[in-house]
Amino acid sequence: MIDCREAVRRMWAYLDNALERGPVEEFETHLEACQRCCGELEFSRHLRETAAAAAGSETMPDPLRRRIELLLEGGGLPTREGDTP
Amino acid sequence: MIATVIDAHSQPDTEGGADEPSRAFVDVAREQLDGLYGYCVRLTNDRTEAEDLVQDTLLRAMRAYPGLRDEKKVKSWLFMIATNGWHDLCRARGRTPATVSLDNGDPEDDFSLFATLTIEDPFPYSDELHLDFLRLFRDEDVQDVFARINPAFRAPLILTTIHGFSCKEAAAILDVPLGTLLSRLHRGRKQLERGMWEYAVKNGLVEVGDEP
Repeated sequence: MIDCREAVRRMWAYLDNALERGPVEEFETHLEACQRCCGELEFSRHLRETAAAAAGSETMPDPLRRRIELLLEGGGLPTREGDTP
Repeated sequence: MIATVIDAHSQPDTEGGADEPSRAFVDVAREQLDGLYGYCVRLTNDRTEAEDLVQDTLLRAMRAYPGLRDEKKVKSWLFMIATNGWHDLCRARGRTPATVSLDNGDPEDDFSLFATLTIEDPFPYSDELHLDFLRLFRDEDVQDVFARINPAFRAPLILTTIHGFSCKEAAAILDVPLGTLLSRLHRGRKQLERGMWEYAVKNGLVEVGDEP
């Protein structure tokens, strides 16, 4: 059976579905017997969601979007001088 | 300008295709604009550089698109072009991109935010100590913490956690073996955890007796 240190090492890989079947089974067996790691897994899930929401909240600024649209429409790449602030 | 960097590379090109993007390319590119921009912002930590990198990426992609065999992989393909463009830009500016030596030795390997919160107990009357800690962070606080993560470890974290790529896809985008990706991802997460704790202490979001 794996210990807490190893379980913590596998935790985010587990959340990412990046573990092979064997390591997943070992990890889940550990969870059945370890309340502490269940708590940390739950926290890791929330931390991951917090990080994803905060760091993934970018929207392309309108001036850049306009330049990109011109580029995509085959008008070449305009310079920033034409941008309105 | 990044455009000078592009010209220094011999990209696969099609006759006269560079300035006349195909309809199919325009459609797929439009769907990815916000995601691609977000990736470039987190990768570069600089909005002006991110804007240049997005444009550079789309120019390169436009030229290479006719050679793309698997349309389903267009998202990871665009992110790969952006990553390579960023590395080229770093090299052109004399910065050293992430190197393999970063994979050796890791004193922060075992830092646990969960355990630190349990021990330090910054909210003694809370029933949801760990969640209350996360609730202290505004988006810009988390972005600040992200910006301080070592770029070699930040990129895997951005690709998987924010943009939903699998670890295998992220490894392909960053052109590293899966094992290296997993190792860097783990270290990126540890730096995120430590960074959030240190940010909270430094900015007075929590009060603790002895700073770590």
